[in-house]
Amino acid sequence: NKHTFQTKNFIQKYISLYGTRNLAFVSTVIGYPTVAVAGDRKTTNFAAGDRILIPNQVFLKPYPFGSESDPKNLHSMETNNTPSTSRKRVREDDDSVPESNHSLSLEDDLIFSDTMVALQMMCAQFPRIDKVTVEPFVLQSQLYSSVKDRTQVDRELESLRREKVLRVFKLNTGQDDHALMFMEDYLKQMKRAVKSMETKKQGVFPVFEWFEVHVIHSKPEPCIGHQELLSLLSVGGKVKDEDISLLINAGLLTRQLIDSEMYWFAIPNIGSVLKGITQGRKELLSLLNRKKYKEMMLAILEKKRLRLSPLDMRFHLRDLLGSGHLKTIQTPS
Amino acid sequence: MWKEIGDRESGKLRPNSFITRIRSNRASSLHLSNHKELVSSHRGSVNSLQVDLTEGRYLLSGAADASLAIYDIQRATDYEAGGLIAKHKPILVDKQHQNGHKYAISTAIWYPIDTGLFVTGSYDHHIKVWDTNTTQVVMDFKMPGKVYRTAMSSLATSHMLIAAATEDVQVRLCDMASGAFAHTLSGHRDGVMAVEWSTSSEWILMTGGCDGAIRFWDIRRAGCFSVLDQSHSQLGRRPPLADKSTTKVSTSKARAPQRKVGSGSSSKHSGTSKILKHAKGSAKQRLHPGLLTSQDRATAHYGAVLGLKATEDGMYLLSAGSDSRLRLWDIQSGCNTLVHYEIVRLQTSKAIQLAVTQDSSIVFLPCMTSVKAFDVWSGQSRMTLQGHYENVNCCFYSTHDQELYTGGNDRQILVWSPLKLIPDDADECDRRTEQPSAVDEDNWSD
Repeated sequence: NKHTFQTKNFIQKYISLYGTRNLAFVSTVIGYPTVAVAGDRKTTNFAAGDRILIPNQVFLKPYPFGSESDPKNLHSMETNNTPSTSRKRVREDDDSVPESNHSLSLEDDLIFSDTMVALQMMCAQFPRIDKVTVEPFVLQSQLYSSVKDRTQVDRELESLRREKVLRVFKLNTGQDDHALMFMEDYLKQMKRAVKSMETKKQGVFPVFEWFEVHVIHSKPEPCIGHQELLSLLSVGGKVKDEDISLLINAGLLTRQLIDSEMYWFAIPNIGSVLKGITQGRKELLSLLNRKKYKEMMLAILEKKRLRLSPLDMRFHLRDLLGSGHLKTIQTPS
Repeated sequence: MWKEIGDRESGKLRPNSFITRIRSNRASSLHLSNHKELVSSHRGSVNSLQVDLTEGRYLLSGAADASLAIYDIQRATDYEAGGLIAKHKPILVDKQHQNGHKYAISTAIWYPIDTGLFVTGSYDHHIKVWDTNTTQVVMDFKMPGKVYRTAMSSLATSHMLIAAATEDVQVRLCDMASGAFAHTLSGHRDGVMAVEWSTSSEWILMTGGCDGAIRFWDIRRAGCFSVLDQSHSQLGRRPPLADKSTTKVSTSKARAPQRKVGSGSSSKHSGTSKILKHAKGSAKQRLHPGLLTSQDRATAHYGAVLGLKATEDGMYLLSAGSDSRLRLWDIQSGCNTLVHYEIVRLQTSKAIQLAVTQDSSIVFLPCMTSVKAFDVWSGQSRMTLQGHYENVNCCFYSTHDQELYTGGNDRQILVWSPLKLIPDDADECDRRTEQPSAVDEDNWSD
């Protein structure tokens, strides 16, 4: 059964009324506006006016909203979920028998078949941070936790990257951490950083424009060699050594320990967020490790707030599930 | 099963497809063997395993206590549990040999032509060639650093070179025929941990270094002709020749040899921004065209390359890196096929030995204390073979019997095979009196 609602107003009202505790999606995938309501004991914080998307496999069913305290009333839309609570367990580094991998994390009753949909959904759910304004980005491990086939994710990311729809950044928070950001969001973030740099130094530097036009648009890879960077920037004008220092100071380029000759593209002004990511991961893992059996009920866990990280619990849970440090197990009762 | 045999008899099923079907069925159902056991007498972790390539009968293992052992895996030395478990004791163990290795043996390989010789490499900087029958060291090569891996080409008809990967940046080729070094291959920027000869050409060698690069060398020329770059990727298998739609791309695929001499030698010095300032008039050396790829700093992994394995058809290469990734490369195009294998963690300090089935459908990778079997093309984990008490270092898949041998830090060599059905008659016959016993009799029955 699909409920179709004609007006957008209704959707907005719907969300604002029941906003924070329900998962609602609007899709245009099928061609006409549909509201899919998938509710469950997993709750997501949705503010009114959030941009939301529906994966195209979800169907609707009416069910009473508002009974948040009674999780058994809300059943999920996926066919084979039994209404049960789930626990999170810290996975040891090598695991023994693989448990039922039925993804029962927070919002994922809905296993997305499409990487793009997952990306857009996660960008929409990016937590709001008070001190810095950061455009939404997604960690690659988060994608792995929501889309089942990882090879498919890798390949779709590769084709999206080649089409320049999104950019991939290698982060220094771990061995293989990559952040994905949509091109528009990255350009917005970059402009903000450039503007703040220019007001600080009180001058207009053409190198930023050359960077954006020549380097970003022609090099979709996450890293660039020194020679190539110079040759691409020279297309815009004469490049001096100080220009590269400007780019590094603005946070657009960085160097990593792996290779002293390569520059890596970076998202400017997210230093505190990256710190939050590493500390939040450690805190969450230590939280679970301190428990008696190293596991905890998901419903309780998701309500906690991490002390050291400005990002919300859902962000970290997805990240750790995708990288394999945590796993979910269904429990009866 | 019987129906398939009948089909083969009548000609409905071709013999080759019958064979591959049986083999893949057996390979996908490996368990800790319930009928075969190897009694390991090593006192140190088992670092290397190899079954000989000619008969598939002898397993050679090298351990960290400088001991070697050879097991006959087809004939058991004695039986236990009423003949159900075959125990294989080592034929040859060598620990206190006066010419033997002093430190841990990191690699032990058979001479590919026959089992009369084998080659071992060790952390004591030596590579020794042994005669199997007399257990004597026939040849000794001294290396500049710890030897991580050695390899000999099984296809070679015109050379007998042992490729040695050491902690030195150069890969050395030792010639067994003359006892001297043939040549050295330079290009890596850090120690080399993995070396493999190509399965399609006797002249091509693939090496993986601690700098994360995988290089392809043609030993008849200087320098490497290809460096694998993880950002050059293609989506799956290459399209057949007729369909030229480019699913694969790369922005700078073939790195054209640098024409500017000044910039060419910059990687040899560590200066970075001074490159442009050095005019062509400076007295920099001209690089040999074969060595231009030494400036290619592409990496295949974000950490060290721990193990390499080429598939038997010579088309694909699997590489395991310390960034906990296993990557599948298409050798012809040099691209990463972007298959994602779900691995949480790999041990990073030692080289690991991977194994692939003959039809390239399953890859076995030692992940910490278990061995995971992945489907090569989809990346899904098919089986997790958990049996060792500590980290697993090496595994070898014997195509002949569809058995997997794994060795780990717990000094054990485990055998994984498809389950053998224990026939019921074994219970019915009383071995001592040779009389069929009653169904409800047991050891204490009168």
